[in-house]
Amino acid sequence: MLEFDGITKEYRGFFGSRSVRALNDFSLQVEAGEILGFLGPNGAGKTTAIHLAMGFMRPTHGSGRMLGQPFGHAVTRRRVGFLAENVALYHRPASKLLRFYGGLNGLRDPDLARRVRDILDTVELVPEADRNVGKFSRGMLQRVGLAQALVNDPELLVLDEPTSALDPLGRVAVRELLQHARRAGKTIFLSSHLLSEIELVCDRIAILHRGRLARLGRTSDLLETREHSEVVARGVSPEIMHGAVADDGVVKFTIRTADQRAAIERVWNLGGEIVSVAPVRRSLEEIFLELTAEEAGK
Amino acid sequence: MTPVLLIAANFLREQRWPLIILLLWVAGSSAVVGAPGVAADREDVLFFLKQQAVYGVAVTTFLAASAIYNERRSRRILAVLSKGIERAQYIGGLLVGVFLVAGIYCAFMTAACAWVFSQIRAPLLPLAYLIAALLAACLLSGSVAIFFSTFLHPLGATAATAIFLGVPALLTHVAPIWLRLVPVYWLMNTILEFAFHGFHYTDWTAVALGFLETLLVWLAASWVFTRRDVAVAVE
Repeated sequence: MLEFDGITKEYRGFFGSRSVRALNDFSLQVEAGEILGFLGPNGAGKTTAIHLAMGFMRPTHGSGRMLGQPFGHAVTRRRVGFLAENVALYHRPASKLLRFYGGLNGLRDPDLARRVRDILDTVELVPEADRNVGKFSRGMLQRVGLAQALVNDPELLVLDEPTSALDPLGRVAVRELLQHARRAGKTIFLSSHLLSEIELVCDRIAILHRGRLARLGRTSDLLETREHSEVVARGVSPEIMHGAVADDGVVKFTIRTADQRAAIERVWNLGGEIVSVAPVRRSLEEIFLELTAEEAGK
Repeated sequence: MTPVLLIAANFLREQRWPLIILLLWVAGSSAVVGAPGVAADREDVLFFLKQQAVYGVAVTTFLAASAIYNERRSRRILAVLSKGIERAQYIGGLLVGVFLVAGIYCAFMTAACAWVFSQIRAPLLPLAYLIAALLAACLLSGSVAIFFSTFLHPLGATAATAIFLGVPALLTHVAPIWLRLVPVYWLMNTILEFAFHGFHYTDWTAVALGFLETLLVWLAASWVFTRRDVAVAVE
């Protein structure tokens, strides 16, 4: 669906000033039908990668393909929806604006009129259809931005920080929209700073750091650590293990996975019962901090 | 073709206020010059015509020179270029937008001049050529400004356009062929030297060259813009 193949992008400085390498031999494949979360600290190169995919820029080295065509192929973009970070739209009534963007993608009446109606309904802006978007709140503007990305019923959605301007209710609405899009078979490439959002909706996560792909994997695999497990036991006291806590009739403690067998036997020997043993889930924040610390140590 | 027209209509809509102000200026000026009882002489009317012609070219050049920059600075260009359009269509849309602005201005000028000319009982026949020359000059200077704005700041693009269009004026003293190379000076000179007595200039070559060269400049601007990164900050 979307493929970056060894892409390097350098922003050249003027008059011999130092150039900045935003992406460095970056490769990534987004599979059909998945939601891939694209994470990275500020300046990691996420927006650069997205802009290269959309054909706004050309890579210094490497290449990429979108829906089977090289980046920048105009006709292919008709099957793609894009929402930029800090959405900026013309100040026109919402319905006319969507007609404009739909028209640029080759949609014609009556399909265009139907799509505009449907998409305004999807983003819950039907009552505001004739209002100028210049008078919209940021949240409403973001929804119009999403609507213009969806107006052509795209196969691939490329979203750069789609929930950044939204309140919690708006985020839930966008999350539902993304899940609805996935059920409809769309592929979504989603860049976000809101790690909790990514955890909730993405099938896979790619983490970019200093222009390189630092981690890539299924969300569940990335969040679960193989090194530590959480044991929940019943019928033992919290003194069984350092750091164990009693909670609602059970005792919980974290151990190194290598020590798992010994810990279970100890519970049994003390007459206790194991309720569950599960890998410890880390938050994306922790993974992020880990990564940054690793890179700083290199 | 439709994306080009959509972008052009959008450009016209975005530039409606400068255009309306310009039209109001023309209306006001023509009212002052042509009002019954003012008894303006032919020199006043000629000054009105020449002044508005220079304003027309200057305004279309400024609007064209800042079009891409404004779109990039506001980041609105991203939503447009993310759709299924070629960069050449985007530039073509801006150019047709400049044509619409210049066309509306010239249509308004035609009406204003026809009224003012009739007030002093001047012949209307030269007006067709003068307006066509003005339209061609506006369009060519606008297209040159768009070309330079694909890689320069609007101020730089405006300055470069002025130099580019002005060079033939200097070189024409060396070799007259330069007059045809970028005929804005040729076209404007025809308008600025226009007089009611003895006007017999009906050589449409300059007008035709103006429109033809606009197409060539559009091709060049499209070629350059296709190779430019547009998503990076413009400041």
